[in-house]
Amino acid sequence: MSGKLGDRKNAIFTRSHNEAILLIGKSLEDCPLDEDEDAFQGLGEEDEEIDQFNDDTFGSGAVDDDWQEAHERLAELEEKLPAAVNEQTGNGERDEMDLLGDHEENLAERLSKMVIENELEDPAIMTAVQTRPVLQPQPGSLNSSIWDGSEVLRRIRGPLLAQEMPAVSVLEYALPQRTPQAPEDDRDLSERALPRRSTSPVIGSPPVRAVPIGTPPKQMAVPSFNQQILCPKPVHVRPPMPPRYPAPYGERMSPNQLCSVPNSSLLGHPFPPSVPPVLSPLQRAQLLGGAQLQPGRMSPSQFARVPGFVGSPLAAAMNPKLLQGRVGQMLPPAPGFRAFFSAPPPATPPPPQQHPPGPGPHLQNLRSQAPMFRPDTTHLHPQHRRLLHQRQQQNRNQHRNLNGAGDRGSHRSSHHDHLRKDPYANLMLQREKDWVSKIQMMQLQSTDPYLDDFYYQNYFEKLEKLSAAEEVQGDGPKKERTKLITPQVAKLEHTYKPVQFEGSLGKLTVSSVNNPRKMIDAVVTSRSEDDETKEKQVRDKRRKTLVIIEKTYSLLLDVEDYERRYLLSLEEERPALMEERKHKICSMYDNLRGKLPGQERPSDDHFVQIMCIRKGKRMVARILPFLSTEQAADILMTTARSLPFLIKKDAQDEVLPCLLSPFSLLVYHLPSVTVTSLLQQLMNLPQSAAAPAPSNPHLTAVLQNKFGLSLLLVVLSRGEDLQSSDPAAESTQNNQWTEVMFTATQELLRIPQAALAKPLSIPTNLVSLFSRYVDRQKLNLLETKLQLVQGIR
Amino acid sequence: MNYMPGTASLIEDIDKKHLVLLRDGRTLIGFLRSIDQFANLVLHQTVERIHVGKKYGDIPRGIFVVRGENVVLLGEIDLEKESDTPLQQVSIEEILEEQRVEQQTRLEAEKLKVQALKDRDDEATAFS
Repeated sequence: MSGKLGDRKNAIFTRSHNEAILLIGKSLEDCPLDEDEDAFQGLGEEDEEIDQFNDDTFGSGAVDDDWQEAHERLAELEEKLPAAVNEQTGNGERDEMDLLGDHEENLAERLSKMVIENELEDPAIMTAVQTRPVLQPQPGSLNSSIWDGSEVLRRIRGPLLAQEMPAVSVLEYALPQRTPQAPEDDRDLSERALPRRSTSPVIGSPPVRAVPIGTPPKQMAVPSFNQQILCPKPVHVRPPMPPRYPAPYGERMSPNQLCSVPNSSLLGHPFPPSVPPVLSPLQRAQLLGGAQLQPGRMSPSQFARVPGFVGSPLAAAMNPKLLQGRVGQMLPPAPGFRAFFSAPPPATPPPPQQHPPGPGPHLQNLRSQAPMFRPDTTHLHPQHRRLLHQRQQQNRNQHRNLNGAGDRGSHRSSHHDHLRKDPYANLMLQREKDWVSKIQMMQLQSTDPYLDDFYYQNYFEKLEKLSAAEEVQGDGPKKERTKLITPQVAKLEHTYKPVQFEGSLGKLTVSSVNNPRKMIDAVVTSRSEDDETKEKQVRDKRRKTLVIIEKTYSLLLDVEDYERRYLLSLEEERPALMEERKHKICSMYDNLRGKLPGQERPSDDHFVQIMCIRKGKRMVARILPFLSTEQAADILMTTARSLPFLIKKDAQDEVLPCLLSPFSLLVYHLPSVTVTSLLQQLMNLPQSAAAPAPSNPHLTAVLQNKFGLSLLLVVLSRGEDLQSSDPAAESTQNNQWTEVMFTATQELLRIPQAALAKPLSIPTNLVSLFSRYVDRQKLNLLETKLQLVQGIR
Repeated sequence: MNYMPGTASLIEDIDKKHLVLLRDGRTLIGFLRSIDQFANLVLHQTVERIHVGKKYGDIPRGIFVVRGENVVLLGEIDLEKESDTPLQQVSIEEILEEQRVEQQTRLEAEKLKVQALKDRDDEATAFS
């Protein structure tokens, strides 16, 4: 057995007598002395922990939490309360004072400590083991720490929130008798937590919590979950601050209070409205990097405005300026994320020329203000802020009324009344509410809101565009729309290194969420072709087509997103982006047509298979705008060739009309030759005029279908455009077209009217088109048949 | 203070009277005192309300801690409109009796249905 392993085993069973262990160890092993001593020192520390654990479980450290007593007191309260509240109050308070009389000094110390700490750290976030100094929990400290916390907190909160405090607080009354505590307890009070024993070494997993996850914390401090979610306090006075969350509601001034702060940057919008609010992770990273350059304070509102420059052409120029001039003490060197909230374009557009000087005066104002005024509602939508402002005024008015014994009619005031009389109110502390709210906000974090929350983002963008448009028209007061603005996290690349044990033979791998291990060896066996029946083959083919559609769709979504990415990217990256985009478009086209590189594309089959599926059709409609003219024309020709088949397959879905719009757009860019051949394909006209077929099922099918007919009309219209616009065109083309048109009109005349579909749109120049090729009588016939003249319908 | 506009957050519902419908069909009415991120609820002065037809009865239950996953829905009760109901409150014994009767009739109806289906099935097999 290796030396260290053996020694550990020995150590566990003995109490902390380091010398004893040393002696034993020395006698057993021949290892060099230094090595052993170090090991034993480490063991000694472990030992102390283990002893502590033992102590707390079995020894003097274990104390009951006398909840029964507390419960009885609460029950008593319920009975006694209606009868003689005042007496009880007096007694209760006096008792409390007596209990605490000895410890008032301690209390005062603790209070002051808390106040300071609260300013710096955030409530609602528990400490993880690593960041806090190691505390040795004292025996006898566990029991009342939980209740102590709330009581102490109450006293802090007292002056601030006097109106909310009921006459008798249930908690105060219910406190059990406190045992006198050693001065070390104030350290212990800082954690409303079980001692470290409740943590277990977690390997390769998310970091350890000092308390079980559901516990609302008493002392609010920063976790170090992982680097990704650290974030700085928006405004700092002291430079060397570890990263924090922005202050929660309780500590920061409430939005109501903030709105009344003079010169608050909330009240003005220094930046122009016309810019998108999104700040790319890259720019965030930039800002983060730049943040270290200069000390000084930076209000989060300024920060929130920064993204406003992204979209403008000044963006590149502005950003560095901003970084240097504006960025304050956002971050210490640690790469954290900025949980700043992006503000959408401000509602009231300031004078457009206000870019750099705009933020300046606001910043100055902020700097000159006292530390207390932290305009922290920048995470709120400006409309939201205004709403709160209004609400605050309402509240003020109401309070004035109530204080002056005014009307009690409104529901709100009765609710306040109710709260006032309710002795059980505010059992859930403000901090706890903030804590829950914070968790909920954290759940909304995302590195890429466009990806995670696409519909919400788009919906609000649309709304904002609408309201901006309305405002431009001067449509009266804008509707206030509150929007929840979710925190944005900068995406940090994280390479995961699996935990390696020291001293283990070989490389032990521990399987965890970041490092999953393959459990089942699933082997894919491909079936041989002979076994399959025809049905299976068909099914497989369809499945393959579906897979291709899915893959191509992903490509399509990426390509569609490139525009946005382009706007957000840096200059150097743009060519690369364009390359990627082009490449993806090519692969999309290959997927559509069936990838047979080097060969001409003989088979339409692949494409037709895709077009038989509803999703495939919609996808083609979306892809068409991205393709080059030749590629798109190719697609169109293929469609025209197989149109009757597609029409038959589309009978149930009726999705073909969605293709009309992109096809029309395309047709209007096609040259004459293509149009001619297209028309031929569509109508399945025989190549030579010599042998007209008796019936033309192809044409019939086309004409009986809405999409087919509309497409035909579009093509005809385009032909007419070409003809009329360019009479001096090449004669061969002209001739071809004329020939085709003659045959076309013949066919059209032959078709009975009843079978015609109603087209989606009728181009206007068809009459003039037909008038070239047919005489008056036939023209009328054609007109009535195709309902070319508006009046007929 | 407007917590999280546009979302469903229970924070603003604290200390207000709520009606909570549970997955097992119980209806609880009480003051919502505390919540957490899983929507676990602490209800105070809770009353379990049993509805049968147009009558209802209240059973006082005290303090309830409800695990979030068992809540179907909950809603705030308007204290002023609370008494404005066409329903008639009866005593606990009466409502429990009514409930038992209702349960019985339902079981019997169910039995009849099952029997009818069985008979039809027998007929069908007899004919084939």
